[in-house]
Amino acid sequence: MKMKQIDLKNGVLKGKPIYVCMILILLLALVLSILTAVTIGSVDLSIGEVYRVICYHMFRIGDGSLYGSGVVSDIVWYIRLPRIILAMAVGMGLAVAGVVMQAIVKNPLADPYVLGISSGASLGATFAIMVGFGSLLGGNAVGVGAFFGAFVVSLLVQIVANIGGRSNSIRLLLAGTALSSVCSALTNFIVYIAGDKAGIETVTFWLMGSLAGAKWVNIVVILPCMVVATLFFITHARTLNMLLLGDEVSITLGTDLHHYRHLYLIISALMVGLAVYCAGMIGFIGLLIPHMVRMLFGTDHKKMIPLCALAGAIFLIWADVACRVIIPKSELPIGILVSVIGAPCFIYLLIRKSYGFGGGAQ
Amino acid sequence: MEIATKDVKVNLGGTPILKGINTHIKNKEFVGIIGPNGCGKSTFLKTVYRVLKPDNGCIYISNQPLEEMTYKETAKKMAVVSQHNYYNFDFTVREMVLMGRSPYKKNMQRDTKEDYDIVDECLEKVGMSSYINRVFSSLSGGEQQRIILARALAQKTESMILDEPTNHLDIKYQLQILDTVKDLGITVISAFHDLNIAAMYCDKIYALQAGEVVSYGTPQEVITTELIRNLYEVESSVNRNEDGILHVIFHPTRSKGESR
Repeated sequence: MKMKQIDLKNGVLKGKPIYVCMILILLLALVLSILTAVTIGSVDLSIGEVYRVICYHMFRIGDGSLYGSGVVSDIVWYIRLPRIILAMAVGMGLAVAGVVMQAIVKNPLADPYVLGISSGASLGATFAIMVGFGSLLGGNAVGVGAFFGAFVVSLLVQIVANIGGRSNSIRLLLAGTALSSVCSALTNFIVYIAGDKAGIETVTFWLMGSLAGAKWVNIVVILPCMVVATLFFITHARTLNMLLLGDEVSITLGTDLHHYRHLYLIISALMVGLAVYCAGMIGFIGLLIPHMVRMLFGTDHKKMIPLCALAGAIFLIWADVACRVIIPKSELPIGILVSVIGAPCFIYLLIRKSYGFGGGAQ
Repeated sequence: MEIATKDVKVNLGGTPILKGINTHIKNKEFVGIIGPNGCGKSTFLKTVYRVLKPDNGCIYISNQPLEEMTYKETAKKMAVVSQHNYYNFDFTVREMVLMGRSPYKKNMQRDTKEDYDIVDECLEKVGMSSYINRVFSSLSGGEQQRIILARALAQKTESMILDEPTNHLDIKYQLQILDTVKDLGITVISAFHDLNIAAMYCDKIYALQAGEVVSYGTPQEVITTELIRNLYEVESSVNRNEDGILHVIFHPTRSKGESR
C-alpha cells in the first residue's frame, strides 16, 4: 500500500500539457524575476528610472543624457543587471550540470562538484593567489586559476577512471574522491607553506561564492555557453535517460555509453568551470534543483533539463537578491545563503518518505 | 533470423570461461541453454548480446559478423531481457518502454505518435496496459520484468535473448513471460535453470559444462538421467506424460544415490 502512495506523490505533474504549461510559466517567471530583481537593491531607485535606463541601453529609446550615463545608469546597467544575468546563467548551468552529473554517476547524491571539481577549483584558486602567478593572468586571476583547476582535475578523473579497464560510474566516483583528497592536500600544503594570511582570506571569501564580479564582458561569453550546453543536453535527453539504466542495458538498446559519458563530463566540467570562474563555489543549487524538479515531474530528462535550467536560473536570481538585501549596507556571500536555504529544503525532501530520491521505497 | 557462433572463446580475468562454443540457431527456433552454475551460460549470452567481446571466434546474425555491425543495428535485430534490473531513479512505465524505441532514434529525433502506439501495443501484449502511468520502481518484481519484456518488444526485433529473466519470479510469472515470448514466433535464445520449464518451451537445447557444449538436440534427446547426473551431479528420473511433456523428478542424493 505504501508503494501506491509513492506512486501518487512522485512525479504528480507528469502529463504533457502540464509540462508545457510549466515551461511557459517558468519562462514568464524568469522574465518577471529579472525585471523585479533589477529594481531591488541597497540604493533606492524608482522603478520608472530603472526601466528607462534599461530601455535606453537596450533600444536607445529615451533621453541619453539622463539615462545613458550617470550614477543611476551605472548602478542599473553596470552593476545590477549584469549580476542578475550572471545569476541566471550560473544558476542554469549549475542546475543542468547537477542533473547531468547525477546521471553520469548514477547516483542521486551527486552534485556538479562531485568528481573532484570543487577541490580542483580551490587548488587552482589557492595556487593563483598564493604562488602569485596570478598577476600573469591579469584581472580575474583567481577565477582563471579555479577554472583551470576544475577542468584539469575533471579530465584527470576521467583518465584515472580509465586506467586498467573501462570507466564506469563507480570508477569515476572513486577516482573523483581520490583526486579530490590529493587536491585538498596540495591546497593545504600551499596554504601552510605560504603562511599568507591575507591570501588565505581572499581564497576563503572567494570560495564562498559571489556574483558581485559580474561584468558584461564575461556574460557575453558565459551566457551563450550555458544556453548552448543546456540545449545540447536537451537534445541528448534520451542518452541521459539511458545512463541511468547502465552500460549493459544501454548496449542492448543500441547505445554504447562510454564515449557519451566522457563527452558529457567534459561539457559539464566546462559549465561548472565557467560558473566557478565568475562566481566562485555555489553549493547545493546543483543538488537541490534537480531533486525538486524530479520530485514533481519525474526522471525523464527530456523534461528535466529544461525545467531545471529555468528553475535554477530563477532560484539563483532570487538568492542573489536576498544576499544583497538581507544585511543592510553589506552583502552576504551567496554560497552561504544558498546552503542555508538549500540544506533545510534538502532535509525536508529527505524526511518526506514519499520522495525516494528516485530509489523508490527503500 | 539465424544466429550462429563459431568457436567463441571468452576469458574473464585470465580464466577461460568459454572454450570454443559452436552453435547454430535456426530461424524462429526457441533454443534453451542449460548447465550448472558457472558453466558459462550467462557469459555466452552476454557475448552474443555484445556486452562481452569474444577473445576468439565470431558471432553471426543472419550470416553477418557481429563486430561489423553497430550497436544500433544489433539492437534492431536482437532484444534482450536480462536478470532483474534495479534502477536508482524513477521512470514511469511509459518512459521505460519508450526506451525500447531508442535504436531507431538519433539524438535529436523526437518520439512520434507511432512510437507511443508501439508502447501501448507492447504493454497490451504483456498485459500491463493499465500500468502505463505507474512508476517503474514501485512495481513488484514480476511486474517490472514484464515491463522490461515490453521494452524489448518495443525494439521490434526478429530475435530475443532471455538471460534468466524469470529467475526469482513466481512460477505464474515465469510461465507468463515465456508464453508471451513463445507466442511471438521469433528466434529466441534463453538460459534456463529449471529443466522442466526448458523442456516445455524449447525446440532445441544446448547443454553447457565448464565452457563447452556437451550435448545438443531436442529436449527429449538432451534431458536424460545420464546428462543430469553428468551436469548437476544429481540423480533423477525423466518421464513423459501422455501429452508428450517431459518431466524431470529429482531424487535426493543421500538416500538413493549413495546406497546404490
